[in-house]
Amino acid sequence: MYREQQITLGLFYCQNVPESREENRQALEEEFGKSLRLFPIPCSGRLEPVHLLKALERFADAAFIITCPVGACRYFEGNHRAKKRVERTRKILSDIGMEPERVGIAIGSKEAPKTLAQQAREIFREISLLGPSPVFGQE
Amino acid sequence: MITAEQKPIDEIREMIGPFKRILVLGCASCVAECAAGGEKETAMLGSALRMAAKMEKKEVVIEEKTLDRQCVNEFIVLLDDTIDQYDAVLSLGCGAGVQAVADMFPETPVIPALNTEFLGETKAQGLWMENCLGCGDCMLYYFGGVCPLARCSKQLFNGPCGGSVDGRCEINPEMDCAWQLIIDRLSRFNALDRLEDIYPPKDWSRKQGSGPRKIVREDQQR
Ligand code: SF4
Ligand code: SF4
Repeated sequence: MYREQQITLGLFYCQNVPESREENRQALEEEFGKSLRLFPIPCSGRLEPVHLLKALERFADAAFIITCPVGACRYFEGNHRAKKRVERTRKILSDIGMEPERVGIAIGSKEAPKTLAQQAREIFREISLLGPSPVFGQE
Repeated sequence: MITAEQKPIDEIREMIGPFKRILVLGCASCVAECAAGGEKETAMLGSALRMAAKMEKKEVVIEEKTLDRQCVNEFIVLLDDTIDQYDAVLSLGCGAGVQAVADMFPETPVIPALNTEFLGETKAQGLWMENCLGCGDCMLYYFGGVCPLARCSKQLFNGPCGGSVDGRCEINPEMDCAWQLIIDRLSRFNALDRLEDIYPPKDWSRKQGSGPRKIVREDQQR
């Protein structure tokens, strides 16, 4: 359903997010086509601002990270770090005059866990208002 | 190590404004340790600058490279083959690195991307503290290994000033009182008697008495 949209999302996610196995990833990429590029990482703490920036520079209109719920990171503080790195990246974006909302974080919930697919849809909804990135120009 | 912080992006963009082919040059030593100018930070800055240029529809080439050390000629010469491709270098080295690169390539403008700050220590992740002024005549022995020049707000040689509260400096309560630390450490080594002496004011001639300092070591020379 999103295939017609022009927005491309670079989505990083912790591999401990529910239903984020390889087959789930493939199914999602098939459904979304070019609009979604998925990057599994062993822990959201591995995410660096440079990953988000490179995604925005090369192909993405928005770049997000999905983490485990607070207190549920397998490596204790990965999601806490990811949050700070997203904040840092947002600061860089506003410094260069780009909407900081083009990067973001979705922190899982212990009470109401969501699958990778559910989260991806929610993020798409969130970013649909942003429109295409100014980096790629509107021809 | 030498610590530094990145300059505001606006300032950097203004300085590189006139140039069309820019090499963003990181340094993998001190400034990498303090997360200001290593390979990662160089990649981030390069990416941010390219995006900024694209948004303004500016035709510029911005490429990145990181040298192991930017203040040592043996590493800077590695740019020999490529430097001609650029009309400016944006350096994420400390002030010494910027100048070393400029010395080696006098035809190329070298622009600093960092503000070089101080000689310091990595205290914790994301926390760096100044602890040496490079005075040229180290007195750490007398002060139990805690430098009153770098770490006492009043640079007292015959402290404490009497104003510290709970071991905190009266000028800046976020800092430990250097003299509390000095006394604690000297007591631990039964060396408090070192403080019986009156220390005369610092002789700054060893630091800046005769212009820029240099170290000559014949045994290290060719
Ligand atoms: S006395 Fe202080 S400033 Fe001088 S060399 Fe020693 S630590 Fe550095
Ligand atoms: S409180 Fe301690 S560190 Fe601060 S100025 Fe006085 S002696 Fe120096």
